[in-house]
Amino acid sequence: MTASQEIETRLRETAEQLLRDKKVDVFLGYEKASLPFRTTPLFVTSPEQVDRLAWNPFCTINLAVYLPRLFADSRRGGGRAEPPPPPTVGIVLKGCDLRAATVLIQEHQVPREKLVIVGVACPGMVDRRKAELALGEHDALGAGEDGEGNVHAVIEDGVEVKLSREDVVAEACLQCRTPTPSMHDVLLGSPVEATDGDGDAGRKQTADFEAKAPAVRWAQLREALADCIRCSACRQACPMCYCTECVMDQTRPRWLGAGTDGSDVMIYHLTRAFHLAGRCTECGACARACPMGIDTRLLVRKMNQEVEDLYGYRPGDATDTTSPLSDFSMDDPQDFLTEP
Amino acid sequence: MTEKTIAHTDLDRFLDCLKEAGTVYVPAKDEAGEVRLAEASNVESVALAYRNFRMSPKAFFLPQNQTLLRFNEGRVEEPAPPDQGTSFLFGVRPCDARALLALDEVFLSGDDEDPYYKRLRENTVVIALACERPVASCFCTSVGGGPGDGAGSDVLAVALEADLLLKAQTPRGEQLLSSVEDLLADAAPEAIQQAEELIRSAEDQISPVRVDNSAELLREQYDSPIWEEAGLTCLGCGTCSYLCPTCHCFDITDEMRGKTGRRVRTWDCCAYPLFTLHASGHNPRPSAKERWRQRIMHKFRYAVENFERLFCVGCGRCIRNCPVNMDLRRVLKRVGV
Amino acid sequence: MSQTQAVQETAATKEWEPRIVAFLCNWCSYAGADLAGVSRIQYPHNVRIIRVPCSGRINPLFLLRALQNGADGVLVSGCHPGDCHYISGNLVARRKFALCKELLQYAGIEPERVQFTWVSASEGGRFASVIEKVVDEVRQLGPNDKLVKKL
Repeated sequence: MTASQEIETRLRETAEQLLRDKKVDVFLGYEKASLPFRTTPLFVTSPEQVDRLAWNPFCTINLAVYLPRLFADSRRGGGRAEPPPPPTVGIVLKGCDLRAATVLIQEHQVPREKLVIVGVACPGMVDRRKAELALGEHDALGAGEDGEGNVHAVIEDGVEVKLSREDVVAEACLQCRTPTPSMHDVLLGSPVEATDGDGDAGRKQTADFEAKAPAVRWAQLREALADCIRCSACRQACPMCYCTECVMDQTRPRWLGAGTDGSDVMIYHLTRAFHLAGRCTECGACARACPMGIDTRLLVRKMNQEVEDLYGYRPGDATDTTSPLSDFSMDDPQDFLTEP
Repeated sequence: MTEKTIAHTDLDRFLDCLKEAGTVYVPAKDEAGEVRLAEASNVESVALAYRNFRMSPKAFFLPQNQTLLRFNEGRVEEPAPPDQGTSFLFGVRPCDARALLALDEVFLSGDDEDPYYKRLRENTVVIALACERPVASCFCTSVGGGPGDGAGSDVLAVALEADLLLKAQTPRGEQLLSSVEDLLADAAPEAIQQAEELIRSAEDQISPVRVDNSAELLREQYDSPIWEEAGLTCLGCGTCSYLCPTCHCFDITDEMRGKTGRRVRTWDCCAYPLFTLHASGHNPRPSAKERWRQRIMHKFRYAVENFERLFCVGCGRCIRNCPVNMDLRRVLKRVGV
Repeated sequence: MSQTQAVQETAATKEWEPRIVAFLCNWCSYAGADLAGVSRIQYPHNVRIIRVPCSGRINPLFLLRALQNGADGVLVSGCHPGDCHYISGNLVARRKFALCKELLQYAGIEPERVQFTWVSASEGGRFASVIEKVVDEVRQLGPNDKLVKKL
């Protein structure tokens, strides 16, 4: 049995136990998808369904994105006089996903006591686009994992192609600083060493970009965002974007146009980066969701590094800290000020 | 229906003739190696080996960002249509060409025609290219189309070994072929047969999806509990609608600066939470369940009831690109279609 | 010369003059600007002042919108830390401003186009000096072409 299969078996047992004992109302996990290199989210409500739960290298989705909506009615009442009680939710969370859930708990969107967290130590997930590109002309009809964590894709005529894990692992996973969820009720899988514990890879990326002349940076940013169709998939896939009415959609006042005007595209992405400063856990859900393949983490990566440098804060570390932009200190640095 | 052939080696000359009559868009590899429709004058070589473009060509007919009016100090003016002349789209896949017929129903049928859409539609010539290798998520044959279907295009091209077979589909297509007749030869029976075999082989590669009686069955299943389960996972990200060749919902907004401004039409998506939000605060489609149901209903029931046409051409983009693998084929099956 | 005269002259000579939008907090910076006026301290006419209750009111979208609408530069000024009329508004703002400045700079927008400062109600002279500096720096950069939206 591969490590993933062991985790899958234990995951199903855990979910079944939780549902049978009525410790959770719903269990969020992954299910095999209708196309290779992917999984689809699964909301399990009865013990009989647990065999549909899967664990494999394609469990890329950040399930924390579903948490705010599961607790929305009990918080806001759903238009009823007596708000329904909050459900108890069991959920599978990888390292990055757990950090996102931590921020949601910290921001009072999700009550910790109503979550049963099944953490899984994650060795890095496969980026389906990288896998598809690696196959070139061939189509994958199915894909699985071998004992070493490599991906085996079955192409036409039943031929198997091996794709080594490191070649197809997601960009976000190459910069992963916490693969093992620190907060959990159950932990599956042996602890995994972070590929980039100190965040050096991410820092190098921003440093390289910053080394360029401002005009070059602007031009490259425009270029990177040139394909943006303003679908807002990045925002919808982000667990941190849970506002019922996003400022981008507000009409009174209207802050920016809805179209693909270059200025509007830039303002959308700049604003999103700013709204995520000190909140984004760099799970990569935004980049994965983007239908145009844009690296949507480009700007927010820099914001997170600044928050870490200026205020010594990393989002998703703990639930009892104060969000950096809701906090202040008399000694906060102010080198950015203009002095006449 | 005229059937001609042109040697692959003469394709450039064919495109040059088109360039004299307007702007030509051809499939070409971009810097990342992806094939998309690009303006021919910027292209070094035409790519003919691709599956389908990431984006559908609907932006040529319904742009993401379209200025409808301008106003200044109380005066309203419709911007003069850009003197773009004719556009030629070469290499559009049959599913995407067929989708134009669905858009025609929405924007051209009925009492009023959408003048913005009409202008673009009338000035764009579509030369479709038949498919040789469908993708796993293709199901055009199940929704009335096929890898060799010419519906919606002016000319259907089929890439054979040494030539391209060109089949006129409309009077405009006939006119196009006769304007370049020096480059063309009458299609030999072998060429026609080769094309038919190619298309048949492509059809065999497509897994069928049952959609018969979809309208009736969906009507019966409107209140089924499966919508709750099926719709729960939708993120409302808009990817499906924006990439879909038949999706056409739009928003109209005024962009102002002092007393000057413009009225702009942009794409919108029924999966967005705010799509049906009323000014009162009531939202008739308050959760992902209602919105996902709406998506399926619109394409497989309401369109059939209103236009006797499915508003899905089986291109599979929504399935391939959905970040959470919402798959309408799976839902149709569960509904019992 | 007055603002209106300056604008007319610019239009007449077609020589570009920078247009700076300044968000000033009501209690300190706006009062400081007022003091500069009352004291007849001359400062460049290129600034358009918008009064806000507190620098903590500033939403970074204000700055982006100003640039989008054609401002060549934006200035935000509030009370010195410790002096905020609302106790901590400027302290919360300070973090926002630091990050906002870093973000815009990272994106390639010239740092001189978006500037932040503290000016107290008694610092009329300081206000004038700040304006001098900002206008001068923006003039050297030339008209803003980033984020500007043409309708």
